Amino acid sequence: MKVTICIGSACHLKGSREIIKEMQELVAANGVKDKVDLNGAFCSGNCVKEGVCVTVDGTLHSLKPEDCGEFFNKEILGRL
Amino acid sequence: MGVTVDVAYKSLNKFTEILCGDSVEILKTVDSDILILADGMGSGVKANILSTLTSKILGTMFLNGATLDECVDTIVETLPVCQVRGVAYSTFSILQIFHSGDAYLVEFDNPGCIFIRDGKLMEIPQSIREIDGKKINEFRFRVKKGDALILMSDGTIHAGVGQLLNFGWLWEDIADYAVKEYGKTVSAVRLATAICHACDELYMFRPGDDTTVACMRIIDSKPVHLMTGPASNADDDERMVADFTGDPNARTIVCGGTSSTIVSRVLKKPLDVSLDYVDPEIPPIAFMEGIDLVTEGVLTLNRVLQLLRRYVKKESVAEDFFEELDKPNGGSMVAKMIIEDCTEIHLFVGKAINSAYQNPGLPFDLGIRQNLVEQLKNTLEEMGKPVTVTYY
Repeated sequence: MKVTICIGSACHLKGSREIIKEMQELVAANGVKDKVDLNGAFCSGNCVKEGVCVTVDGTLHSLKPEDCGEFFNKEILGRL
Repeated sequence: MGVTVDVAYKSLNKFTEILCGDSVEILKTVDSDILILADGMGSGVKANILSTLTSKILGTMFLNGATLDECVDTIVETLPVCQVRGVAYSTFSILQIFHSGDAYLVEFDNPGCIFIRDGKLMEIPQSIREIDGKKINEFRFRVKKGDALILMSDGTIHAGVGQLLNFGWLWEDIADYAVKEYGKTVSAVRLATAICHACDELYMFRPGDDTTVACMRIIDSKPVHLMTGPASNADDDERMVADFTGDPNARTIVCGGTSSTIVSRVLKKPLDVSLDYVDPEIPPIAFMEGIDLVTEGVLTLNRVLQLLRRYVKKESVAEDFFEELDKPNGGSMVAKMIIEDCTEIHLFVGKAINSAYQNPGLPFDLGIRQNLVEQLKNTLEEMGKPVTVTYY
């Protein structure tokens, strides 16, 4: 599964760094490193969304740092 | 042969003084680069006025093609006479390097110029001429790539006098130190800073005199192309990227997420974005084949501008500045390339407005690219780097 987190200017200001850190920890803690491929990306042109642009296998989500845990369980673990 | 120079200087103020009594002018004419160092008598305001006048007069007159005799005449006539000592006095050194490789050195009462070639100290012959009662040494020679020339005020040779060293730091010993540092440092600014820092240590960080080291290194021309922002008309993307990557000798930097996506699309090279947040305040960098450096846009450029401003304000350029410059974050990497590895810079600036940035919910105004570019241009010019800006 390919997960792409935007680190463009706008997303950076909305908390890309926290999300990346949390995702990396969640992936490691759940032992799914070989299944989840975390990537960075520059602006995908969806900055108007409220959260950081996170793409899971091509589907775009808008994620806030505080929702990371829930998102990980539902959209990543839940789809593996 | 086209000769290009990397030139920088560093000054220490006499302990407790706010102004420096040494002045440095760095100038460019159509066919040469000029470095002038003047040391005014005394310290503080008086010395600052004397040295500023001297360096400015020399600079302005040289730029307009005056002869050395005329310049010296003018200085003698112009400098205010010190009430205490009854004389008007400032030392000076002038180094002019022509693009043809010809060089002209003029020295009046400063410690001699240190001339390093192929890792060895070169001798500068004495050929004294008297103008208005001042004994002035003139030397015409040729430079070649790799040469370094260092001008100093006498604060360097007085470093540590009566304290750590009986007679101060002897010229020969400074020259040996300079030769050693020449081998270790890549840029004029690091060489000048290293020598100045050594003086500061000998003074035990309380300089007894204004101390200035100005350094010129003869280098190949190193153009840098920096692209930031998408073109206001998307049809111009290809033209913009073609111009940006058009010079095979130029190093290339892209600052901007959307811009790098455009470059990636036009060049058909994948963009590999790092997740490595080395600095929490600015987004990670990215990698693309064929482009030397890829970073995020305005936040990174804002950091670059801060670093360049620190560099222009000489006081804060010391070891800790270089530590900052050597950090692997996008801002430091761009600033380092511009400061140390660039002789001229061409900015390719897209004027498109990113609608997402017009979001008042963001804690930082991202819609300031053009303002940043304008400030960047001014700062680069203050640094003495020729700048060209092309808008799309």
